[in-house]
Amino acid sequence: MLGTSKRRRDRSAKRNEKAPQAEMEMTPMIDVTFLLLIFFMCTLQFRTLEGRLAAYLPKDTGPALRSALQPEPITIEVRVAATGLRVDPRTGVAWTGQGRFEFDGARELTYRVGPRQYTSPERAIARVGELHAQDPLRRIKLDARPGTTYADVIQVVDLATRVGLDGITFTGSSE
Amino acid sequence: MQMSKHDPETDMEMNMTPMIDVVFLLIIFFMIITDLTQQELEQLVLPVAVEAVEDKPDKDERRPIVNIKQDGTIIVRREVIYTPEEDDYTRLKEYLVDMAQLMDKDTPEGLSVMVPDDPILIRADENTPFKMIQKIMELCGQKGIQIWKVELAASRPPDEGPGI
Repeated sequence: MLGTSKRRRDRSAKRNEKAPQAEMEMTPMIDVTFLLLIFFMCTLQFRTLEGRLAAYLPKDTGPALRSALQPEPITIEVRVAATGLRVDPRTGVAWTGQGRFEFDGARELTYRVGPRQYTSPERAIARVGELHAQDPLRRIKLDARPGTTYADVIQVVDLATRVGLDGITFTGSSE
Repeated sequence: MQMSKHDPETDMEMNMTPMIDVVFLLIIFFMIITDLTQQELEQLVLPVAVEAVEDKPDKDERRPIVNIKQDGTIIVRREVIYTPEEDDYTRLKEYLVDMAQLMDKDTPEGLSVMVPDDPILIRADENTPFKMIQKIMELCGQKGIQIWKVELAASRPPDEGPGI
């Protein structure tokens, strides 16, 4: 009895001497660590999905040096023709005032470029493109009328960027 | 003696310490990066834009980021600084003045004064009334701020992936 336990102790002492690090179980720790690493790497990637569109504000605050030489800008006016109903995005029924809402299909927008009025933003942007090609010095102004949402504006800016029109400025007042 | 070479315990002779050190450093790095970028970006449903340019987190933290919720609530650095009920823009204005002072100044073509050369990032829910954003744009043009470059946040179409 006594002999066996002594022998065991001896053996374990010998083991400690030969490979002291081997006694610690590293595998689970390394597993967890790698999982954490992968998790943080993945979360970092998701964020880069977000993008941005460049736009400009009118720089009218200071005295303009060449304001007399500036040609009249091309204005694209976004107007709400039919407001549509606010619905709950999950259920599709009328919005109750809780959480997010969306507009239903009855919502309609019109886009006015100069005297012409369009119902499709693509056509309006095509017209802006024509005008801009005639006189590239004319800047493009976006006039979002009351009732328009951020998404409506983004759609116009996105379409304009797609056809190569950049440097869009904003106009209009919040009042 | 010969047996001990094949003992699984002696296989651990490989030195794990440098590897674990590096992995921990990587974890700490990613944790810090994630924390910094999450701080200012609020969870919002952004409109989809195909042409949106990939937005890299701003390292200098010089770019003001303004989050606007659907009801018009403005959140900056995880703090609500404007509610439509109170309708008080002083805190937002203070924030923009502070940020504009930190920015590099330049004189753009057609102007004779120095104005900030860095953009502001506006992030709004897709159904936010645009007049809320116009109000912020108005503030940007005020004396002491004069930020004229705007970046509008949008999400990219899901099938596009993270891009190259």
